[in-house]
Amino acid sequence: MTARILVVDDDIALAEMIAIVLRGEGYLPVQAFDGKEALELFPETRPDLILLDVMLPGVDGIEVCSTIRESSGVPIIMLTAKGDTTDVVRGLESGADDYVVKPFNPQELVARIRTRLRPSSEAAQTILVVGDVRIDVPAHEVKRGNSVVSLTPLEFELLVTLALKPEQVFTREMLLEQVWGYHYKADTRLVNVHVQRLRAKVEKDPDNPEIVQTIRGVGYRAGATLKGADLAP
Amino acid sequence: MIGAIWRAFLEGLATPLAVWRSSLLARTVTITVALSGLAVTLIGGYMSLTIADNLFSGRTSQIVNETTRAATAAQALFDNSVTAAGTIDVETANTSAQTAIRSVQSSPGASGFALLRTPGQITNQTMTSSSSAGLDLGVVSNEIRARVVAEPDQLHYQSVALEGAASAPGIVTAASLQVPSAGSYELYLVYDLTDVQTTLTEIQQTLIAGSLALVVAIGLVTFFVVRLAIGPIRRAARTAERLAEGFLEERLAENGEDVIAVLSRSFNRMAESMESQIVRLANLSKVQQRFVSDVSHELRTPLTTIRLAGDVLYSQREGFSAENARTVELLITQIERFEIMLTDLLEMSRYDAGAVALEVDDTDVVPLIEECLDQLSPLATEKGSELRLEVRGGYGVSELDQRRVRRVVLNFVGNAIDHGEGRPIVTFVDSNEEALAIAVRDWGVGMSDREVDQVFDRFWRADPSRQRSTGGTGLGLAIAQEDAIAHGGRIDVWSKEGEGTCFRLTIPRIPLAPWTTSPLALPPDTLQDSDPTGLPEHVGESA
Repeated sequence: MTARILVVDDDIALAEMIAIVLRGEGYLPVQAFDGKEALELFPETRPDLILLDVMLPGVDGIEVCSTIRESSGVPIIMLTAKGDTTDVVRGLESGADDYVVKPFNPQELVARIRTRLRPSSEAAQTILVVGDVRIDVPAHEVKRGNSVVSLTPLEFELLVTLALKPEQVFTREMLLEQVWGYHYKADTRLVNVHVQRLRAKVEKDPDNPEIVQTIRGVGYRAGATLKGADLAP
Repeated sequence: MIGAIWRAFLEGLATPLAVWRSSLLARTVTITVALSGLAVTLIGGYMSLTIADNLFSGRTSQIVNETTRAATAAQALFDNSVTAAGTIDVETANTSAQTAIRSVQSSPGASGFALLRTPGQITNQTMTSSSSAGLDLGVVSNEIRARVVAEPDQLHYQSVALEGAASAPGIVTAASLQVPSAGSYELYLVYDLTDVQTTLTEIQQTLIAGSLALVVAIGLVTFFVVRLAIGPIRRAARTAERLAEGFLEERLAENGEDVIAVLSRSFNRMAESMESQIVRLANLSKVQQRFVSDVSHELRTPLTTIRLAGDVLYSQREGFSAENARTVELLITQIERFEIMLTDLLEMSRYDAGAVALEVDDTDVVPLIEECLDQLSPLATEKGSELRLEVRGGYGVSELDQRRVRRVVLNFVGNAIDHGEGRPIVTFVDSNEEALAIAVRDWGVGMSDREVDQVFDRFWRADPSRQRSTGGTGLGLAIAQEDAIAHGGRIDVWSKEGEGTCFRLTIPRIPLAPWTTSPLALPPDTLQDSDPTGLPEHVGESA
């Protein structure tokens, strides 16, 4: 199946160039030139992934991102011209899964897209339990008690990665490699922001997390799989 | 023991000394009181002496007159006692003379007289020596007696101490008398000067009390006047301090037309222009930051398009003619160069705008350096340089901005590769309690002193003809220096032509913390400069 990718950029030349690159890689690009158009095209085209420029005339990328996140967990990759400013954090907090800093090269862009589109890892167990959270891996369903928690694919993968090895503490670098597919030094803010978003959805009290615990100075770990049973080494 | 006393003395001195140094008021009052005290003492002393002199000399001349009159009266009496027959009843004359003397000696303090026979003469008759009752003849010293004998025509006097309840000042006058047929006699009149002394003492006491009161009054007046004058200065100082702390709206009150008001007005004008200048600069800086961010976006978007286009062409270069394939290669490398330059320029203008914030992480710097060396090792191999790492310390975590420190290290090592003449390049790491140092040493061409001075200048290149392989923009070291400064650190450089170059970064273990010495010498000293291949065994290799 050919993946459809919605490319949102006000720069016509860049949007067209990205489309050429994507077609070369076998994807089906759909172009939108501003935020309003992107929001109109999104329900029609039902893209598998969105490439979204942060700076857009009218409705800007941050707004587009949070609007889409209200109804969909579709992977969103931000295109940003500012690698080291608060824009990145704002983009991630509004729900973007990943970001690419301009100027990027085609390999970089395609690598990011591939990671987000790959089928999620085959879990050995089909049902994972972390505290009061129940994860049905094949069904892509997460329940806390009896209520279904709606997670984006990225958040789901993050949670599953942690839950599969509850004894292991994952450093941010390990998570960047396993969940985001970065094989080199990348921005640890990606992990921080998404852990916050995940906690906001699965924790009873995000300020005192039990499901995704912070191990100070190291990283994160899934909370108790079964109460009392996790004391065994 | 003496040392302890001396120390205690110094400690006791410390507080007044501190007050002396810190308080203009205390200093002014002290100096004024000391100087006026000295002046009053001199004047009072002089006045006291003059008054004493006048008092005593007036009294003395009175006494001398009296003595002269007494002597004249007595002498006349003796002369007139000679009968027509030429005989004399000396004892009768003596009695009358004493009465005459007593009546003449009438000034206050007169305490008696003595009529003494000059010893050592042989005469027809002898008149009995006599003295008034209660007079201690001890006050008539041998000295004055000798003077009277030596100069009988003159009147003599001598200051003496009279014996009494307390020793009192006195004066003894002496005159020589000739008693017919009985020879020379000496007349001594004794006067007690206690009353003069009492007057003088009273005057002196009044003088001293007056002087003290005057000095105290001067001190008080000085205190109030100086306080009055210092007050506005003190307020100005406080206001200046507040301004320095960043409260730019602080101002002084402007009252009246005096010099203080002028000071206040100029001070306020200065504060005004400072404030507007600072506000203007702050605005400029904001405009600059906006500009940087706009340029960043505007340039990066077309550059991204160009880059994507270039890469698409590059991936298809097999199908191109040799010329076109080479063209695409050139295009790609120059796009990369352009990109690096743009990044450097933006970074530099961010520093210029002061729009830089460190992103600090607890970092073990050794793996970070190893990564940098790994990244550059293909280039180093190409140039024939071996990259080595000598870790002497620095394993503990330091708080630093990894991106910036990595950039500095990459810059140092990249430069070393470019100018290292294919010889080994050693990166040193060490730390102490305060600071962390990273030094990169090559044994390449080196630089002259003049070149070293220019090394941090923007777009400066050591040797324009030298082929560069690291794609330097000429901004690398300028940015590295800003990176160091942003951490509260610095970059030092050592270089000698033909011996190589060493760049050393020293940053505090916590950003902007104070530090004094770099943990590494410049250049680090274990290696023999002449033989870079003869490295000691313990030198570690980069991973």
